[in-house]
Order: sequence, then structure tokens, then C-alpha cells
Amino acid sequence: MDIKTTLFTLSDAVACGTVYDARDIASHILSKYTDCKKTDTLTVIGTLKGANSSRKIMLDAHIDQIAMIVTDVDQNGFITVSKCGGIDLRTLPARRVIIHGKQRVQGVFCSIPPHLGGGDTKFENIADFKIDTMLGDRARDIVSVGDYVTFYTEAKPLIGSRVAGGAFDDRAGVVCLLELAERLSKTELPFDVIFVLSDGEELGLRGSRTATFDIDPDEAIAIDVSFSDAPDVSGDDCGKMSEGAMIGVSPALDGGISRKLIDTAKKNNIPYQCEVMGSKTGTNCDVISVNKGGVKTGLVSIPLRNMHTAAEVIDLDDIVSVCDLIEKYILSGGADI
Amino acid sequence: MTELLRQLASLDGTAGDEKAVRDFIISKIDGHCRFEVDPLGNILAFKAGKNRSVKKLLVDAHTDEVGLIITNVTADGFLKFKTVGGIETAVMLSRAVRINGSINGVIGTKPVHLTHGDEGKSLPKPESLYIDIGAKSREEALSFVSLGDRAVICGEYAENGNFICSKALDDRIGCAILIKLLVEDSDYDFSASFTVQEEIGVRGAKTAAYTVDPQAAIMLEATTAADIAGVPQEKTVCSLGDGVAVSFMDGGTVYDRAFYNAALQSGIKCQPKRAVTGGNNSAAVHLSRGGVRSLALSVPCRYIHSPSCVCDRDDIDSAYKLARFMINGICSGDIE
Repeated sequence: MDIKTTLFTLSDAVACGTVYDARDIASHILSKYTDCKKTDTLTVIGTLKGANSSRKIMLDAHIDQIAMIVTDVDQNGFITVSKCGGIDLRTLPARRVIIHGKQRVQGVFCSIPPHLGGGDTKFENIADFKIDTMLGDRARDIVSVGDYVTFYTEAKPLIGSRVAGGAFDDRAGVVCLLELAERLSKTELPFDVIFVLSDGEELGLRGSRTATFDIDPDEAIAIDVSFSDAPDVSGDDCGKMSEGAMIGVSPALDGGISRKLIDTAKKNNIPYQCEVMGSKTGTNCDVISVNKGGVKTGLVSIPLRNMHTAAEVIDLDDIVSVCDLIEKYILSGGADI
Repeated sequence: MTELLRQLASLDGTAGDEKAVRDFIISKIDGHCRFEVDPLGNILAFKAGKNRSVKKLLVDAHTDEVGLIITNVTADGFLKFKTVGGIETAVMLSRAVRINGSINGVIGTKPVHLTHGDEGKSLPKPESLYIDIGAKSREEALSFVSLGDRAVICGEYAENGNFICSKALDDRIGCAILIKLLVEDSDYDFSASFTVQEEIGVRGAKTAAYTVDPQAAIMLEATTAADIAGVPQEKTVCSLGDGVAVSFMDGGTVYDRAFYNAALQSGIKCQPKRAVTGGNNSAAVHLSRGGVRSLALSVPCRYIHSPSCVCDRDDIDSAYKLARFMINGICSGDIE
């Protein structure tokens, strides 16, 4: 699997609410390497059998992305939306979007011209930011209340192994999951490995909650993205791009797994950095770990800049580090349970 | 004409760096008119028509667009920049940019999760913005870009029915119309200029008008349309689909009233520009030498100076038709 091509394909496709393109592409790839099924709640679960089939580790990456949902369509072709996930309103004026109506159409967030006080815009309520469907009075034929809207994005290479695009949160994690499925499908496994493409993370960690209930794993690792260094982000708040897998350390995570991940990275010379959090992680780990009677859970993240925008930046080498780390971790026997 | 417009809008031509646009235009008009390139980079053309004109007429469109100029590189390899022409800060946040027509970058934005208090409700200072091209150090960045390089904010050309959305419609629309006027046969002689540096103070038009020395001038432009949700009718300036906008006065020019009236009475779909705001090359042209009677024909454009300008192709068609009508009327002497 070519990591860059797969990431670009998956991140330019969309998965949110009733739009399944990216999930279907990822699901197709996962089914090449694993025994793959979709659940009633649309989560995709792939299974690789290991020597000890009474034990299983769950690997999770969320397939959904931040989006918006249409709440009004006016007669002149302008629509109002509500947020599905954290969106920075300041980035919206003149932003290109895809409206997932009866047809897919491009739209543009209105930008108030300077002569009408565009410079005084208040960035408080997304309902104040109308989208021009560029459909005029035909809009109501194509766009309905409840349709999803996503940022128009186009993944592009930057210098070296860094790349920019939208929805790398968490398609970068999904790519790790798929790469791991390919690698682990070619080797003897100590126990079962269950791959989960979970839905609804951006709307409150929903898909992972129900998937974990169904799978009932002995341990789990979520693969997500986390904040990376940038001129306007304090070094205390983030990891560093290109410096490897971010291993989560948090009261909400299993300390043994965090330590074993760190030891595995050290032993195998895999680039890594610790991401220490004082409370919950804000990732699927928060619900996976409290499934049923409790699940030992770890978190490995890819450093990412400009999170939740159409200009997210990651380093493909960090994806490789995450894959190397989790592969070695599993092959060396996983957590001490 | 929309295919021509797509090609023109997809070229990058920040003010002062219009070569790609100039070369493309020359490739289209070569063989259809005489032309020369002046010291600033303006294309000055002369179209020989079937008949001689009673007045020397200049038809103008500008080749440049708003963009960015790289001013410095940080130790960590991030590019600092200034805007070239008026670009609103919100339109720059977390956008893809293209430097020198080939190098990809993005303008970074602090993640919304990490903003505190009112920080997320107000725009950052433009001087705090930076471009990330993926460089890990100043040295690495400088092996790909140099100080003074230009960048544009990416805005791919797209069509939804009659609507066109792209970066740089201001003023590649004018360029597309003017190319068409030069390539087609003309009843009368006229001069044409594709001018540079409009967005930083109508500088190319100043020298073009001096050299051409016209008696009358027509600017082919795009202008702000605020016919969007929530804006009262009296503040909309002009509306998409109601035809090309004709100016009586704006921030830079008092237009010739006889030309203005003739345009409105032409029978071709058009609308007065209903505000005294903005400006265009006529600010320089109408005050050139002893003065030049001037007319501006502007295609209504929503979200102008953004990577997502929106225009109606019928308005582009009406701008072309009205330009042809006014050329013939002024050159024949029918419009006095």
C-alpha cells in the first residue's frame, strides 16, 4: 500500500453523517487484508486471527470528519448550517465547500465586503455565516435541510515528506490502520487483532463506544492525530512534527501500555515523543477504556498542524513511525494483562 | 469565452509578477493585432478595423491579481509575507497557497481547540500569519523560495450552472473579453491595453494611457456585488444576473456622463453600479495628460479579492456585447 496515495485518496473523499465515500474506500482496502464486516451502526470491523484466539487487541481510528449540516435553504440560493464538530468560524469567509445534496455542488461561504463593514465581522455564531450555493433560485430543488456540508479540500505535497490537506484528522490514523492491516496480515500473530474504522468521533466519540461494546477487547489502542508545533502554538501544548509517534500518557490511559509502547520504541529505534495529558484525552480512548468492565487502552498520535481546517499538515514519516511502533508492540505480545 | 476565462484565471499573476498572464495573452492575440510590451510589462495593442475611428479609443483590462509577497523566513522555516493588494485576513486563514506557480504551502491557523477566551472570536493580526511549505529550517526553506517571491491563495475554477467561481476573476474576466474583442474582426480601429499593477494603485494604467494617448477609454473590470443573504437591497451595489454594471462615479473617477447614458440606453442588459465605492484603472486613465473621457463596464462579482470570486456568465456576455456596442458607437461618432 502506498501511504501517500492512500492518504490523498482518503482525505479528498468524504465521510460524515450520511456521506460514506471515504469509509467505503477504506473498507474496501481493509477487506483485502482482513475478514471485514459492517455493523448495524455503520462501523467497519476487520479481523485478523492469531495463535491465541481467546485474546484480542482492538486498533481504532475514526473515519468521520468535521462537517456542517444544513438548517435552512432560502429562495435566493443561500443556506444556513449548524456545526458537526469543532469549526473555527474565523476561517469561513470565502471558504469553498461541498454541499452533499441531491447532487454534489460547490458552494462558498459569504464574505461581507469591506464597504459593508466586513472587517467588523463577529465570529460567534455559525448561523450568521451563510453559504452561497451558486444555484440561485434552483437551490431548493437540490439542497435540503439535513444535508451535510464539508470543506472543499485538495491534498498536496509540501517539501520532503510533509503533506497538506483536509480531513487528515483522522484519515492519517485510518491510513496507519490500513498499513498495519497489510503488514500484520503477512505474519503470525500472537492473538486476534481487530481493526475498527469508527464513525461519529467528531460528534462525541459515538461509533467507538458501540464498536467496543460489540468487540469486547482485552486491550485497545486508538490512533488519532494531535497538535503539532507551529509559530502560534506554545511548545507546552503540542508535539513536534517529524519527530515520531506521539505516545499518550494520561490518567485516563493504561500506564502499562504507555510504558510498553515507550520501551518498544526505544528498543527498536523508532522515533517517538511522549504526549502527556492531565486528564481525559479527547479521543476515542475516553470511551473505549470504560467499556463494560473496563479495557486497558493506549493512544498513539500523529502530530498535525492546523487541526480541523482544510489546511492540515502532517509528515508521512510520522505515519511510518506510528505503524512501526504498533506493529512491534503487537508482535512482542502487547500489554501485560 | 468561459474556457478562455478558466485558463486565464488559473494562471498566477500577483501584481508586479504578471509574466505568465502576459505570455498567455500574447499567445492568443498574436496575429490578430499589432502589439508591444512597455517597460512596466503592459501589453499595448492596436486593432486595425474595417474603418478608421473618429476618436482614439483605448480599451483596458488589468492582468494582475491580489496575492502575497514573501518578506522573510523564520529560523524554523516558516515564511512571513505581506499582502499585495487588498486581502481580508479571514480569507487567508488556513488556505492553500502556491508560490512561484509551483510550490505548495498553507497559511497556518492556531487550532480552535487551543484558543482561549475571545481569541477564537476575533481575527489574528495579519502580521502574525505565516506560510508553511513543509520546511524544517530557514536554510531548507530558502533552497525552495527567495525573499520577494509571490504567492497566490489557491482557488480552483469551478462552474455551477451559470455561476463561475474562481480566484482572480478580477480581472481575468476583463482580459478574456478584451482578447475576444481583439481576435474578432472589428468595424473600427481601436487601441487596447493589458495593464500591470492595478491592485497596488493603478500604476500600469498610468504609463499605458500616457503612451497610447487616447481621447476616450473603456475599462473592462469586475466589481463588488453584495447581493447576498442579509444585505438590504440599497447596499448590494449590483446584482448577479442583472447585466454588466456601469459606473457613474466611484472612489477614483467621475465618469463621462454621455458615455454612461449611452451605455444604459443601449438596449443591452446592464445596470448602474449603485454605490460610490471602489475604483479601477480609470482613476489613472481619466486624468492622463489633458484628460480622457472614460467609461467603466464591470462584471458583478461576489467575494471579490478572495480565492472564491463568484460571477454570472450571462453578465460576462453582456459586458462583451456592451463593450462592442460602445467601441462602435464611440469610434463611429454615433456616441458624442
